[in-house]
Amino acid sequence: MEYRSQKIAYWYFAAALPLFVLQVLVGLWLAVNYTFTVPQWIVDVFPFSTARAFHTNLLVLWMLLGFMGGTYYIIPEETKSEIYSEKLAWFQLIALLVTGVAALVGFLFGWTQGRPLLEIPMALDFVVVVGALVFLFNVGMTMLKARNWTVIQGTLLGGLVFLALLYLFGIPFYRNLVIDWYYWWWVIHLWVEGAWELVTGAIMAFILMKLTGVEREVVEKWLYVEIGLFLFTGVAGTGHHYYWIGAPRYWLWVGGIFSALEPLPIIMMVFDTMHHVKKREARIVNRLTWTYAIGCAVMHLIGAGVWGFLHTLPQINYYTHGSQVTVSHGHLAFFGAYALLNLTIFYYAMPKLKGIAAYDDSRGKIGFWTMCIAMMIMGLTFGVAGVLQSYIERVLGMGYMVAQSYMRLWMGVTLVAGIFFLAGLLTTVVDLLTVRPARAEAQA
Amino acid sequence: MTKKTAFWIFLLGTLSSTVLFLGLTWDTHRQVATLANVDKLSEPVVAGKRTFEKYNCNDCHTILGFGGYYAPDLTKVVQRVGEEGIRFRLKSPEVAFANSPRKMPNQHLSDREVADLVAFFTWVGEINNNDWPPQDSRKRLSRGEQRMVAMVGVSPGAAVFQTKGCMNCHSLKGTGGTFGPALDRIGSGMTAEEIERYVRDPRDVDPGAKMPAQKDNLSERELDEVARFLATLK
Repeated sequence: MEYRSQKIAYWYFAAALPLFVLQVLVGLWLAVNYTFTVPQWIVDVFPFSTARAFHTNLLVLWMLLGFMGGTYYIIPEETKSEIYSEKLAWFQLIALLVTGVAALVGFLFGWTQGRPLLEIPMALDFVVVVGALVFLFNVGMTMLKARNWTVIQGTLLGGLVFLALLYLFGIPFYRNLVIDWYYWWWVIHLWVEGAWELVTGAIMAFILMKLTGVEREVVEKWLYVEIGLFLFTGVAGTGHHYYWIGAPRYWLWVGGIFSALEPLPIIMMVFDTMHHVKKREARIVNRLTWTYAIGCAVMHLIGAGVWGFLHTLPQINYYTHGSQVTVSHGHLAFFGAYALLNLTIFYYAMPKLKGIAAYDDSRGKIGFWTMCIAMMIMGLTFGVAGVLQSYIERVLGMGYMVAQSYMRLWMGVTLVAGIFFLAGLLTTVVDLLTVRPARAEAQA
Repeated sequence: MTKKTAFWIFLLGTLSSTVLFLGLTWDTHRQVATLANVDKLSEPVVAGKRTFEKYNCNDCHTILGFGGYYAPDLTKVVQRVGEEGIRFRLKSPEVAFANSPRKMPNQHLSDREVADLVAFFTWVGEINNNDWPPQDSRKRLSRGEQRMVAMVGVSPGAAVFQTKGCMNCHSLKGTGGTFGPALDRIGSGMTAEEIERYVRDPRDVDPGAKMPAQKDNLSERELDEVARFLATLK
């Protein structure tokens, strides 16, 4: 830690971690629903839909908290100045947490906008918008006052402004379902395959530069090319969601071609990471942070790149659309690209924020490998379930529940893998919150 | 490569894709009027959409393929189970899904809300969405039937019964829906000809029938096969 105001990042991270644990716990409950027959009285009190709203909204909340904390950590070092207002940063953290808790409690009582991932009611949407504006103002003012522009800062700010702007398209009520889905994807797809990727690019570039000591000039050149490719493929690639919603037929072409290119920037990111490892000029002090950075690049490629590519061509998507294949891709991609990204910056920053230069990574390693292996198994079991579903329901045309009955076994295996994932996550969270300095002999 | 070249790659890549995307967005708005029959987007349809969102249906069910994967897709639900079938499931899910390993909550909907939902699903079912989902496609199902006959070894009539949604309402040997009667012994009371006539247009035989007419849903060959199959169940 070089600047006093970076300390705020710690509280963003510490707030995000329990939310991640809660997300996984609810996820296990969802898997229970798939595997066993839940009694009617539980279904009436706490339906699957409410649990799913919890699972997805917690994902968005903890990840955004992670990104924001990451930004507050990075900005002082990049601008070489303190954050414009620490009070605003605190205000915004509390406002977001209160909104999140209000939304979750509201879901229990049926207070919802009823659209998956955008369930937060309109009244709370406006609080989120105010929170986002405060955040952008605070970050923007810090940069303006410092007048020390870098590409990393610019990408980060650009990604965050883009993220906030897109959120607006998810607020109104659309009379026409086709138009509703059209703009729904402006939030969901353009977030995860546009705005969030910019944030990822910037945070990864920062960490790689700090860890390896490779020149800023080199890192920033890569960053330009990566985010250029991300946006080139990702923006028009939104079309792969428009195949079957009642949009014109040309989206089959546009979506197919641009999504086929979407793995390119991710491959480049992996290549870039490896390239920096080779050319590194600084000694790697904390090997686990390093493992996380490489793990993030590799899992990002598998989950978002390969798994996404496998079913975005319209000829395949016709059969796999809206099946567990999507769930398989979703879990691997979110974990690989964003959960691991957040954990990378947590492992980079949290020890430093506590004044620990080199930390003991023995527990952290167990957590990392347990989570990665468990998630990989979950991706595969969801995938098997999805292929079964696509074949039995879509190709053979048998009933929905007939297909589901063949899938129950695999959802059961997912549940077991999920329990292992939770164990890995708890290990990681405890390790992060009680991080200890490495023993002297390990440092030598 | 200099930093300046990298910057231009970024700028041109982003701009070209954005311009294409925004242009197509403008054109999509123009075409959706026809593709989604906006002239039929009446107040009950919109009220139905609001009801659908109020009860968070979309976090279990997908519609047009998006949403939760816990329950069936509702894009072509009217075609699949008929309007009466939807009303029955919404009003008494604990009866409709008594045999099902997966349950649906009873939301205690008003008659108005149920009617709006039916209007909404009817409108959604008519959207021109490139013939998705495949299991409800009139063009493709016969392929699924052929495969079942070839691979599972069932009769063509049984394949029609299983793939054309009959089991959404009727059951055989305790498997299937509860909205219509169980058909395990149908053949002891009706001949193949009688069954075919009934399935073709139930209201033609019994004006009070709740089953939707299948004359447009099934081909002549399929009507014949399924009636012959059902007549063997004694």
